[in-house]
Amino acid sequence: MQNEKVRLTYYYTALILLACMSLAPIWVMISTSLKDEVTLQGDIPIWFFFVPTMDNYEAILTGRGKFDTYLWNSVIVAGATTFITLLFGGFCAYALARTRFVGRTFLANATLMVRMVPPAVIAVPAFAFVMLSGIDNDLAALTFLYTAISLPFAIWLLFGFFKQIPVELEEAAIVDGATPLQVFFRVLLPLMSSGYAVAGIFTLRIAWNEFILALLLTGRNSRTLPVAAASHITEEGVEWGRIMAMGTLIVIPPLIFTFFAAKQIIAGMTAGAVKG
Amino acid sequence: MTTTAKPKWEPGSLTPYAFVTPAVLLMGVGLLYPVFMAFYLSFFDWEIGRDFADAEAVGFVNFARMLNDPQVWEVLGVTLRFGFWVILLEMTLGIGLALLLEKPIRGASLFRTIFILPLMVSPVVVGLIWRYLFDARAGWINYYMSNWFGMEPQVWLGDPQLAFFAIVFTDIWQWTPFIFIIIIAGLQALPSEVVEASEIDGANWWQQVFLVKLPMIKSIIIIALLMRIIDVFRGLEVMLIMTGGGPGRSTELLSLHIYKRAFETQQLGYASAIAVLLILVVFGLSLLILKLSNPMKTRSDV
Amino acid sequence: MKFFNLAATAVAALVIGAAGALANPYEKYAGSTIVISWPSNNHFKVAETLVDEFTEETGINVEIDYLQYLKLRDRQLLEMAKPEGEYDVVAWVVMWKGEYVNKGLLTPLSEMYTNAGLVDPDYDIDDIADAYLQNGGIVGGAKGYLPGKSGGLYGIPFGAETSILAYRKDILEEQGIAVPTTYDELTAAMTKLNEAGIPALTSRGATGHQVTAAWLFHLAPMGGRIFDDKWNPIVNSPESVKAAEFLRHVAKTGPTGISSYGFGDATTAFLQGDAAFWLDSLKIAALSRDESRSKVNGKVGYALHPTDARCGSETGGFAMGIPANSQNKEAAFLFIQWMTSKAADQRIVELGGDPIRISTLQANTQGFDEYPVVAEQLPCADPDWRPLIPEWNELNVDVLGQALTQVITTDDPIQPIMDEANDKIRAIMEREGYYVWQ
Repeated sequence: MQNEKVRLTYYYTALILLACMSLAPIWVMISTSLKDEVTLQGDIPIWFFFVPTMDNYEAILTGRGKFDTYLWNSVIVAGATTFITLLFGGFCAYALARTRFVGRTFLANATLMVRMVPPAVIAVPAFAFVMLSGIDNDLAALTFLYTAISLPFAIWLLFGFFKQIPVELEEAAIVDGATPLQVFFRVLLPLMSSGYAVAGIFTLRIAWNEFILALLLTGRNSRTLPVAAASHITEEGVEWGRIMAMGTLIVIPPLIFTFFAAKQIIAGMTAGAVKG
Repeated sequence: MTTTAKPKWEPGSLTPYAFVTPAVLLMGVGLLYPVFMAFYLSFFDWEIGRDFADAEAVGFVNFARMLNDPQVWEVLGVTLRFGFWVILLEMTLGIGLALLLEKPIRGASLFRTIFILPLMVSPVVVGLIWRYLFDARAGWINYYMSNWFGMEPQVWLGDPQLAFFAIVFTDIWQWTPFIFIIIIAGLQALPSEVVEASEIDGANWWQQVFLVKLPMIKSIIIIALLMRIIDVFRGLEVMLIMTGGGPGRSTELLSLHIYKRAFETQQLGYASAIAVLLILVVFGLSLLILKLSNPMKTRSDV
Repeated sequence: MKFFNLAATAVAALVIGAAGALANPYEKYAGSTIVISWPSNNHFKVAETLVDEFTEETGINVEIDYLQYLKLRDRQLLEMAKPEGEYDVVAWVVMWKGEYVNKGLLTPLSEMYTNAGLVDPDYDIDDIADAYLQNGGIVGGAKGYLPGKSGGLYGIPFGAETSILAYRKDILEEQGIAVPTTYDELTAAMTKLNEAGIPALTSRGATGHQVTAAWLFHLAPMGGRIFDDKWNPIVNSPESVKAAEFLRHVAKTGPTGISSYGFGDATTAFLQGDAAFWLDSLKIAALSRDESRSKVNGKVGYALHPTDARCGSETGGFAMGIPANSQNKEAAFLFIQWMTSKAADQRIVELGGDPIRISTLQANTQGFDEYPVVAEQLPCADPDWRPLIPEWNELNVDVLGQALTQVITTDDPIQPIMDEANDKIRAIMEREGYYVWQ
């Protein structure tokens, strides 16, 4: 019993240390965003005890920076990307998991292969497309690319989840005369919540955070938040307070989302990786 | 996983195709078409701001130039070195911690939630945060190093070795928890009888780990490995913000090099040629790993 | 096309005809909106207030699109290459002007200056510092980027700057160091400060264009150049090597971290009191006075860029012009003209930006310690301190930016480094067809 106590103490100490390692940089960002210039220029790192100010946020939100537009753009792109990816990715994963058809193996392998295409490879052709077509300032193009990038991984994850659902459920429904779409939406979807949660957060993560393609493909009215954040690195001095405020605003929504859906995500992430 | 998936619909039915078509179209146009475009563009000499009609078709000149370009091989070396270190360290740390902390305890879910938070931070923001922390003058890392450990302040992002260390460290910060969570889930899903049986057989902790546990979660380890390798070749945003690839090319990964070629020196054709090289390298490496074990394949055929 | 020309002529005639009748030259354009692409730096940020005043006075609405200046060029090129771009005014770094004009993306300002209805008779273009105007606005003279009879005007400088020496009066006094006027004196002062444990000269030094920029500051005064008159690279000349040696000395005696410094970091070091000298843009003066960022307000003195083989400061910064595909060229021109007028230049000074007119410098010597120095510095500004050719970017980032990083981060002998860089530059120039006339 004594041994067990010692062991637990070690465990918790180690876990708490690790948790601090994970959180410290994020806290540095948040606290820096709440400091005024004078505090920031102090020589000693201050973790907690300073007078918080909203100056940095005020500067971002009220400046000519069109923060509201950029926020809205990010929400639309991330939302649309996630929705389309989950819808079509779910269809595709379902067909791959449940049916045999000519080209199935090829498609399964091809899906894995295209997952490996790095965004840097897409960047130049995408830029060329914009230059040649004149289609620019368009959230649709960005959404389209993000969807394409997210699909392979989402399909792969959802595939594992579909595999876990007993076939008998669908068979019963089919006997009752349900169409394939009805089977999908009425029988399978309700059982797939953690699968969709984890596929959703990984898609959201790409679409909300992506920088390079957004930088190249967006203009004055279609910028997303990461692009806007990077443009706060000015020449005369990196304005740490403002940059961190911008960073905080970018990071907070996915963090909150993660916190609320943590159970689903972890269950999904681990189940997807382990049991699939 | 012993039940074989039965065909739901008649063989030759078009229903499966209806289900896969939208995703296939999206991936085809969004991923495959750019790859072909990159290949096509690599035969041209083209700059931003010029009409493509005026671009000169140069044949294999860009590829010839690439093969003789020491910079390309240098950044490929940097990429491989970066990949080697981050994957080695993240795997070791992630698996090691998972083994140490695998026993289920109270509050585990809270800790896991905290551990996945770094994953959700935008790469741009990761770059900004760590650039701040590593800053030579105002950075917190230098402060604690000199005040707690009495070490000389270092120019983290201005020295080739230290900058390389900095980007490796940053990557480890963001991705080790991911490996940790996947592996620990795998360990906890192991049937307890097997582990107990080995205990009864008198296996010590090390033997248990290396002879029983790790072999049993091999497929999970390979999945994690594959994902990390793919990510290493995607990475450029963190380095772009933190160091811009410098000093020298010490932190310039292949993806970042392509980006800089295309948009800093504006040689779109040449950048495309290097992009083709990048695709070949990634595909080659991934094929190698898939040959060792294809998670999708085993999944569908078991 | 013919109809279009006809229509354009008709409009132009109307404008000229109407100008007399209208009391206000802006009236015709009131209510229209122009979009301008600006870098997000201090000068352009403080100019925001002035833009509001412009709208108030003229009724022309202005939307500003701020971008980090390194991202500016891609975006501008993309917009200007489209049939109809978003931007009506772009501010470019002087380095890009040759490329923009070469690709046919800018409107020659002569198109506007031949339209009497647009030109303000009191504008006085000769009052704008010649070094700035030539450097930022004229394209196509000697070598393609220097003044000359084959050149044309494409932009008006705005947010232009020259290099000066800034020093900490208190530190120099305490250490008994006289204000250096030559590079030899500066080198000696740096050594002395270093021995006293005080970081000497802050400088940019990050890989790529930053470290190259730092080196170029010293190259011109030491008598060096990138190319000779026939485009032969000469970055391994004794002058160039001497400039590189000086840069290494800077890195060794300066504040910690120069090899990672961009302009912003170098500035912060000076403003935080971590360096005794500054040898870079005059922007430092306005920044030093900004109490929210600076700890050195009131302690800074200014002097001419030290000389060595010759007097040669840098000029650089930005100029504003009109994209060829702008749909509001006249309003755009009126905007540029208004923003660079005498009255606006004076307002810029009041707001904390950098003036471009000699008369403004002379009128404000009270309260701005650096203005007399700047006015004295400008005549010897060297317009050819780096070649403004399209290939420059590659040479700058890829070749020199790498070689000079090696110079400041290692103790390797400098001559071989620069020899190698020279060979690489020659190969690039060869590839780009520069030697066809030889």
